[in-house]
Amino acid sequence: MGSKSQDIVSRRQFLQSGAVAPLAAVLAVGMISIPFMRLAEAGGFMLRPPGALDEKRFLGACVKCGKCAQACPYKAIKMAGPSYGASLGTPYIIAREEPCQLCPELPCAKACPSGALDKGLDDIEKVRMGTAIIVDRENCLSIRGLRCEVCYRNCPLLDKAITIEARHNERTGSHTIMEPVVHRDKCVGCGICEKSCVREQAVIVVQKSPLLQKDSYEF
Amino acid sequence: MSFSRWGIARHSVQLLVIALLGSPLAGKSFFQGTLAAGDLFGLPLADPLAALQVLLASGVAVPGFVVSAAGVTLLYFLLGSRTFCGWICPVYLLTELGDRLRRRIGSGERTLPLATKQALLLLTLVATAATGLPYFETISPIGLVSRAVAFGSWLGLLALGGMLVIEIILARRVWCRSLCPLGGFYTLVGRYAPLRIGFIKEKCTACGACTKACPVEEVLEPCLVAGAAAVYAGDCTRCCDCIAVCQEKALRTSYSFSR
Repeated sequence: MGSKSQDIVSRRQFLQSGAVAPLAAVLAVGMISIPFMRLAEAGGFMLRPPGALDEKRFLGACVKCGKCAQACPYKAIKMAGPSYGASLGTPYIIAREEPCQLCPELPCAKACPSGALDKGLDDIEKVRMGTAIIVDRENCLSIRGLRCEVCYRNCPLLDKAITIEARHNERTGSHTIMEPVVHRDKCVGCGICEKSCVREQAVIVVQKSPLLQKDSYEF
Repeated sequence: MSFSRWGIARHSVQLLVIALLGSPLAGKSFFQGTLAAGDLFGLPLADPLAALQVLLASGVAVPGFVVSAAGVTLLYFLLGSRTFCGWICPVYLLTELGDRLRRRIGSGERTLPLATKQALLLLTLVATAATGLPYFETISPIGLVSRAVAFGSWLGLLALGGMLVIEIILARRVWCRSLCPLGGFYTLVGRYAPLRIGFIKEKCTACGACTKACPVEEVLEPCLVAGAAAVYAGDCTRCCDCIAVCQEKALRTSYSFSR
């Protein structure tokens, strides 16, 4: 074994060795890429494929292999680009373009090797990708008193996840408003309603599921 | 491109890997997924470093995933460990081509120590455990190239292009030699891997052609100078370029579990 002191490089030797320039380049690249590495949730909610774990664990378990995207028969699952920060390469769904069609055999979850999508999920109706929410009541045709209800009729959990609740139209005095109401315990978050909304900008969108309510006292 | 037998064999395998990655785009399912995790004709394969990151970041341990990662590690151990780098990884192929360009235009010869990648491997694992994010999988150029081929997401190739520019102008083969944590992983696994480059000391004329061809020549020289029977370093990518250029046939492949 050589003497230990020869292994330790002096500062002058290090500076002269030419290692500084590549190290500086690596440091520069690292610093430039830090803004891209911002936490994924800073970019807003991403609609994950069915069976996904909660977002924090999902990001920890996803190896960005893309097998779920390749397994989807509708090509609804896309791989995120660099603008999604730390979610780069992870799978997500854009409901307004191609929503999840709720395949009963869940080929996407079966394809995931690392457990980011739960392979053990067998009932598609137990999925909770998100919750549909009417975000623009003033532009929802049904709420304005017209008979739209397209989201209600396209919903795969027909008359379970979205129901129509009738009430008196106070403005006209002689009509009924048939308002679509989303039930968060039934809505799977597939986004078919968002895709089917007839307005130019969807008034019903899938967003992150609201937290469960707790009773203020336990029985 | 080298046109020796070894060069043709190795480049063929590298191109075959890229073709397999892109086969789903052509409607064929010979291969699904990427080099991080995939199915080769139905056989599940998993990158061992990706599996480690998933375990550290999320605590989720799917038995099939862990088993296929362990199987891949064993397979590469038997086949020379960093053989993944030299024969499979598409980033190695791209940086090789970049290096040929660098030699043509005669630019940067700066290098970083080889052990830096083992240090970056440790840093990756620590950062993964601390942030809950599989750190290397997120930024990996291997993943960027695999997804660019399999999904056409070309934007990630810009980062790879930037890296190639740095390698051509500044620091020779710096990613594969000194920065890649997966290369660091396979280097550690490959310390005792049996498939090696064997050395016949009597035939050697010390012409230095092998050290010129080798991307990690620091590991080649000490073994040859000491007259060892084979290249024992885990850093050797088993690219066999040294065997291809040796005029005296003093280098060959050897398979032995003893050192």
